Amino acid sequence: MNVPIEAYLMLSLGLLVLGLIGVMRRRNPLMLLLSVELMLNAGNVSLIGFSRLWDDPSGQVFALVVMVVAAAEVVIGLGLVVAIFRSRSNLDVDELSSMKG
Amino acid sequence: MGEKVTFAVAAIGALGFGAGVVFFKDAFRAAVSLIGALLAVALLFIALLAPFAAAVQVIVYAGAIVVMFLFVIAYLGERGEITSFDRLDRWQVVGWLGVLGLGGLGAVAVLASDFGPDSPAPATTGVGSPQAIGEAMLANHIVALQAIAVIMLIATVGAVILAKSAVQGEGGR
Repeated sequence: MNVPIEAYLMLSLGLLVLGLIGVMRRRNPLMLLLSVELMLNAGNVSLIGFSRLWDDPSGQVFALVVMVVAAAEVVIGLGLVVAIFRSRSNLDVDELSSMKG
Repeated sequence: MGEKVTFAVAAIGALGFGAGVVFFKDAFRAAVSLIGALLAVALLFIALLAPFAAAVQVIVYAGAIVVMFLFVIAYLGERGEITSFDRLDRWQVVGWLGVLGLGGLGAVAVLASDFGPDSPAPATTGVGSPQAIGEAMLANHIVALQAIAVIMLIATVGAVILAKSAVQGEGGR
């Protein structure tokens, strides 16, 4: 392993923080989902890095599970976005307060 | 040497396209930028000797998920973002402090950890091959396999129900 595992982990951290910044900045639910995808990918980089570090396929199994969860999350998320916003004119998550207690 | 070059290219690509996802105003450009970031991450997986995960990454993420995003972006069309007021007003500072704190905590955790000897992994033992992953999945992680099967089923049913209610909302069946 020429490149130390720390380099992969720092890159993973950078991607995660980028995704967090995206979640903080964006008001559009589509862009929120895109940023969340970025964060899930950062997690996958860590998992596969650890799988390489300890020479154990469990990390890769876990990464595949994360990919499936991401796909399911996007299906439901986009379904909700389409169901909610086809009748509204603007995409803004702050406008959605009908479930506020 | 080869791994260093691959890592450098993939790291620059991932962070650059990731910044594109976060900072592009246009939703379409952000989604296309996400494809670039996902391909760079697939390159990282190859550098980590995980070719199967890299293939799944390209097929599932760049192939399926981003295409769904592009469909929805094209379907909903251009919608203005109204930023007249912000509900989070006072709490936004706390949120940004949380982002900074989490980033700093992660950096400290990575730098302070001891990952054992310098080059722990021997020449690969084929741990990233489809065979090894399949064996691990069926022998040790069968519950995870069945759990993701259930998750897929729930997501499919949920998508159908959401689409049905949306169509009914417009007067269809």
